[in-house]
Amino acid sequence: MVVETTTPRVTPLIRQRRRAAGLIAVCAVALVLLAILAIASGEVRMPVPSALRAAFGIGDPGEVYVVQEFRAPRLVAGLIAGAGLAIAGAVLQRLFRNPLASPDVMGVTGGASLGAVLVLAAGAGQTSIPLGALGGGLFAAILLGVLGWRSGLPVLRLVLVGLAVQAGLAAAVNLVVVRFPKELAGAAMQWTAGSLYGRTWPEVRGAVIACALVLIALAVQHRTLAVLDLGDESAATLGVAVSAARLRLLLTTVALASLAAALAGPVSFVALAVPHLVRMLAGPPTAATLAATGLAGATLLVGCDLTAQHLLPIEGLPVGVVTATVGAPWLLILMLRESGPAHRRNA
Amino acid sequence: MTTTEMRRTAPRRRRIPVFCAGIAGLLLCIVLSLAFGARSVPVATVIEALLGAAQSRDALVIIDMRLPRTLVGIAVGAALGLAGAIVQGVTRNPLASPTTLGINAGAGLAVVTAIFALGLDRPVQFVWFAFAGGAAAAAFTMALGRRAGDLDPVRLVLGGTVLQLVLVSWTSAVLVFSERTLDEARFWLAGSIAQRDLAALAPVAPAMVIGLLIGAAIAPALDTLALGDEAAKSLGAPVARIRLAGACAVVLLAGSAVAVSGPIAFIGLAAPHLVRPLVGNSHRLLLPSCLIAGPLLLLAADILGRLVARPSEVEVGIVTAFLGAPLLALLARTREVR
Repeated sequence: MVVETTTPRVTPLIRQRRRAAGLIAVCAVALVLLAILAIASGEVRMPVPSALRAAFGIGDPGEVYVVQEFRAPRLVAGLIAGAGLAIAGAVLQRLFRNPLASPDVMGVTGGASLGAVLVLAAGAGQTSIPLGALGGGLFAAILLGVLGWRSGLPVLRLVLVGLAVQAGLAAAVNLVVVRFPKELAGAAMQWTAGSLYGRTWPEVRGAVIACALVLIALAVQHRTLAVLDLGDESAATLGVAVSAARLRLLLTTVALASLAAALAGPVSFVALAVPHLVRMLAGPPTAATLAATGLAGATLLVGCDLTAQHLLPIEGLPVGVVTATVGAPWLLILMLRESGPAHRRNA
Repeated sequence: MTTTEMRRTAPRRRRIPVFCAGIAGLLLCIVLSLAFGARSVPVATVIEALLGAAQSRDALVIIDMRLPRTLVGIAVGAALGLAGAIVQGVTRNPLASPTTLGINAGAGLAVVTAIFALGLDRPVQFVWFAFAGGAAAAAFTMALGRRAGDLDPVRLVLGGTVLQLVLVSWTSAVLVFSERTLDEARFWLAGSIAQRDLAALAPVAPAMVIGLLIGAAIAPALDTLALGDEAAKSLGAPVARIRLAGACAVVLLAGSAVAVSGPIAFIGLAAPHLVRPLVGNSHRLLLPSCLIAGPLLLLAADILGRLVARPSEVEVGIVTAFLGAPLLALLARTREVR
């Protein structure tokens, strides 16, 4: 016999909202702390107050220069790249209804790094890298679509075709690395490892503006995304042109992932792991959890970059190595659970 | 299941012509591999050089450079083809390949680390590191893929994918860190049989032979395994032990291949698929056929790499990746992948 309790029960929806709000708050606080740390730490040590003052252009001109010209662009690049990758991963996983859909598994970030490397190889300079990355990412997405789509894209086929696309693109990057002179090969490797090293405003500005525009485009489409969650038929009944809407969302997401990759290189696992983490903590996707995903991605990437720069004893360690090392065990646990008994039953 | 049984019996009449055609194709590739290069040599001169009759500069190039390269190509291709057929049989997954087990990525990381830490600079010195790295990665992937004392194909593929991402990321970390390492390793990492001599092949030849012998020994058992675990067990087959032996053979074969040539992808995947429609699914025919198809594919890709960029050349590993990627996509698309 179940006895009704008199204590007021929080409905799941409200609880979920509270959780999302809590997650956003925690991430925002963490991000602010990490940002302050990022601005204050480095080769030129400065106390936090003077670093903050320097960020606003007050104080010692040398400190202002270091903070504004070196640390700030790197921080902004990490923020935007982390948020962009995580949000792109969340939207892709939702669009494909597939927990493994993510720009790195689908070859999008691989395509972006091929684009970036080709731009480097053509000698076009750092500022045109976002364009190259965007082109490469879209190319990879089209390749994946053409090769993999056959009335849907189930998990394993997605992974395998994505693997194939990645392998082809990696071979292309390899070809560039082998063919071109040593210095260029070094720059290309730096890219493909995923690194925030040496970002300056001229490089970052274009990609940040583009990322912001794409994020706005995605926010505008968020309602469509929610309608698509109801299933194709329901969405069509509600007046959404399903295929066109999905394609539009897909292109927006791929653009977001490519531009994020342009800022930080193909940093692995952020796009794949962060949405899962947020879903575990804050429940099914809403606009609020998407915002939380963005913040969490930014926190993770900035945190990993700080770890790579200052905590680990290796100088010049690319942030992608840290994210891969942190993300892989987590992802493995997740995958092994995915391919557990439930998966076998569906197979 | 019905198509499988049909395939197993139907082509019996065609087998001998198919084998002959395969061997002829391989011979043709060998001759072309000897004749083509930055300087092309007439076939007649190639034959004279092989018989020891010619003393010209061309003959020297053929005997000292192209012949070792071709022999290495044959050995590597055969090892990769056989390893691919065994790994597909062991996992009962037509999309598995030595690369899936992480052998290439593990070897890459080990070699790059060795170059960085020990200052090695010749491919001959990389052999043992590559072998050990590949074997360790494969062992780890298989540990991830184990479930209830057996290998689960889905877990194997997913685990291998994640492991590869991590290993490649660590490899690039070392390469970013040390420009000297990048300069030494980038050609090896592309996968090539150029400038390889028999001294590189010699240390791993025993491993290749042992792998070959294990493969020959378990070929009938792999046929039993193809019936499914339950059926195989009820026939008294030691399923887990067969898988373990197969896995060892794959590590020995693919590990020694990558040790000699660097990572060459897709030969192990493609060779079994090429021969399956021709000789059927029985491993007793499939495995020997892959010993022909593997070298055939590898030498063809190597020759292609020399043709497209003359007088320079494209590393064979890059050629196979370019050709193999669409193939894998096609297989993933057409096979009913679960």
